[in-house]
Amino acid sequence: MRRLSIRSLLIGLALSALAMSLAQEPVRSFTLLTRPQAAAPYEFQSAQIIAQTWRKLGLDVNVQVMPWEQMSDVVWYQRDAWDVSGWQMVGRPERSDPDEIVYNLFHSSTAEDGYNFVGYINPEYDAVVEAQRGETDPEKRRAEIFEAQEILARDQPYMMTAYPLNAHAFRADVFDPDSAVLQSGLGIRNFWTNISLQPIGNQRDIVTNSADPVQAINPLYISGGVDSWVYELIWDRLLRIDENGLPTPWAAESYEWLDDVTIDVTVKNDMKWHDGEPLTLDDVVFSYETAGSGEAPMYAPFVKGIESMEKVGDWTLRFHLKEPNAPFLTATLAKINLIPRHIWEPVIEDLKNSPQNAESYQEEVPVGSGPFRFDRWIMNQEIVLVANKDHFSPPKVDRFILRNIANTEAVLGMLRSGELNFVSEYAGDIGLLEEVAQSGPIKLVLAEDIGFRMFTFNNRRAPFDSADFRRALSYSVSRDVLVQAAFSGYATPANSVVSIALPFWHNPAVDNPATGEDVARAILEEAGYTWDSKGRLLYPATRN
Amino acid sequence: MSTLVELARRALQLLLVLWAIATILFLIFRLMPGNPLAAYIEPTFSLEQQQELLQTFGLDKSLPEQYVIYLRNLVRGDLGVSFTYRRPVRDVIASVFPNTVVLTISALLVSYLIGTVWGALMGWFRGRRFEKVSVPLVLIGRAAPEFWVGMILLAVFSFGLGWFPSGGANTAGAQFGSELERFLSLDFWTHLFLPALSLGLYLFGMPALLMRSSVLEVVKEDYVTVARSKGLSDSRVLFKHVSRNAMFPVVTAFALGIGYSIGGNVVIETVFSWPGLGRLLVRAVSASDYPLAQGAFFLIALVIVIMNFLADLTYRLLDPRVKNG
Repeated sequence: MRRLSIRSLLIGLALSALAMSLAQEPVRSFTLLTRPQAAAPYEFQSAQIIAQTWRKLGLDVNVQVMPWEQMSDVVWYQRDAWDVSGWQMVGRPERSDPDEIVYNLFHSSTAEDGYNFVGYINPEYDAVVEAQRGETDPEKRRAEIFEAQEILARDQPYMMTAYPLNAHAFRADVFDPDSAVLQSGLGIRNFWTNISLQPIGNQRDIVTNSADPVQAINPLYISGGVDSWVYELIWDRLLRIDENGLPTPWAAESYEWLDDVTIDVTVKNDMKWHDGEPLTLDDVVFSYETAGSGEAPMYAPFVKGIESMEKVGDWTLRFHLKEPNAPFLTATLAKINLIPRHIWEPVIEDLKNSPQNAESYQEEVPVGSGPFRFDRWIMNQEIVLVANKDHFSPPKVDRFILRNIANTEAVLGMLRSGELNFVSEYAGDIGLLEEVAQSGPIKLVLAEDIGFRMFTFNNRRAPFDSADFRRALSYSVSRDVLVQAAFSGYATPANSVVSIALPFWHNPAVDNPATGEDVARAILEEAGYTWDSKGRLLYPATRN
Repeated sequence: MSTLVELARRALQLLLVLWAIATILFLIFRLMPGNPLAAYIEPTFSLEQQQELLQTFGLDKSLPEQYVIYLRNLVRGDLGVSFTYRRPVRDVIASVFPNTVVLTISALLVSYLIGTVWGALMGWFRGRRFEKVSVPLVLIGRAAPEFWVGMILLAVFSFGLGWFPSGGANTAGAQFGSELERFLSLDFWTHLFLPALSLGLYLFGMPALLMRSSVLEVVKEDYVTVARSKGLSDSRVLFKHVSRNAMFPVVTAFALGIGYSIGGNVVIETVFSWPGLGRLLVRAVSASDYPLAQGAFFLIALVIVIMNFLADLTYRLLDPRVKNG
């Protein structure tokens, strides 16, 4: 017994000696991952500036360039094998509700294999974002979303850099310049613009572009971002996100919360599918059942909260929810595409007996009920949709033509020549687009994005497991410098994952924190970090 | 009899080569960094979905199992289902392949027709001003980056003069009764002109230089001296006697050129937004879409191998001196 206790004493001494020697160790060198300059110039440029700034703090930083495919593989599937990485979130209409961002990105339940790939674990934060999810009073929920943003600003699991500006342009001699709709967080390329653009001459088609080709036109498959531009026009949803970012009745005539977990949705009673069949409440029920059936796995998370559905009369559907669910309107009712039962029921039956699911089923002629009908799809070249004049909200144009233009510079030439009359996607220098816009009857609209750019810290790994360290590193870099140098000024400095494009939810209190080398050094000193004679940063004496 | 045996031997060789290519293709994409699931990373992406995707893609099976399935399907002509497009690879490739074939063949034909004549003249007028100006010109065309040539052509003829459209294979919303009708339409040809010209300017150097050196060889032959001493005109000697015999290497280069150009148009297809195989291939590789990348590369390899075989055969037919070796 006595020997044993002496032994444990000795081990204890050895351990504390080890801890002491560790305590004096300099912070290890680490690697900053970024995509190549050609693929993501702003990210590459930001990485260079950030690395330079961190080196001034006495850190040894290597910048490593990786193509996106490789980088996402490392960051996502080898969760403890990286240090710092450039990353981004893109804007989508459904992200007008902050839940997807504040919950899925940082809740501890998604840390192992979900979107919390940085491994941020904070029970206090978990409690706040769980509370907001169940809070149906918008004002109270807003207070919780604000609190979540303050916790993130303090802990800095990400180093936010900027909200980019979306640049879209169109020919003002083809469309009434006032008929484009500016949607908060998305700019003028959105669903509402496509049904509102008013032609003023003989050209009655929207001819627009995307850099990536469309992969699939499938109401049960969330494929590429460009694909959503097409399927949101062909298929209706009960609600849609309006220009202010709020859910509004669409195929639904109205909706009414009976209590926290019960909602009645009344569907418009005179809608038709593109093949002429009437749209019934059974179709709506079928659409929601299919989304949760296992044959459409990408949509399953959005209907997970539904306990059951019940028809109340010919046109009213009652949803019973498992628990109060504030984002339900945006994340579910405005997300699920309504699909015709008479077409999909046999397909789904077949798929149940096969290893494939509905994601790999491409209809020859997709049939929806939306404001545009499918006409044809010529792969890697164009998609043609025709206005559905029988729709309750018919488009003003005759056709919507989405051209796949791989060459960014050619987009400018095409806009000038009129080969394109609406630029939906432009990845080049916005200054050049401005020049083109000034040279002719072209309207250019810049708008802040719901999405954002950031660098992510691997919160699992020292030294990034310390919130103080992350905050010091994050605040060492001036966002104004980043925006000017890396984004050529076409972005807004960011410090919250809830974009300023969502004014109701964005907490302005976290904006524009003090930054600079001095700020970072003060944070580090306060946390106990020191520097050796060579100026290298050392861990605090008491590491816990 | 011996010809038949020889043909069978060649065919067997061909199959062996194709099997080796198929195997390399299978391995190379799976050993590359990247992950086919990376394209689906979303805030709502869960572990079950990852598993489901792996199953859908058949990636939950062991590598040898995948290999056996892959080879068995390949033999049946089934290239699998694309991960990104979720459709049979055969359909995906078939929808863009004709555009690539038309672009490649038209550029090859024109550049080889002009290039051969030009090269013959360069050889004939050795040391004169025509040759002194032509050789550097041809070399510049060969060395200039295709994207640069393409952008210059676009800037001048599309953005500047407005003579030609700036991208795609047809005008927005154009509709045709059939594929054939589309290929024969003026609309298609005006879209084809600039990309084919860019590609042609690059391809042109090969036949021109080959023909030049070949002509230089042939003019030394006795029968040319005989023809000249008979008092035949220069043009008759050049085109009737010299060129015919100097053409062999050009014919081979043409056949091989088809194979190499079919897969090598990525740059031109991107500059001119041409809906072809090259762009499809680049996307397939970057998205780790194994079946599509395998299928597209296999198709290209198949064309090259067959063209090689044909070049070999024509050589035998044209020049009896080439014996089985």
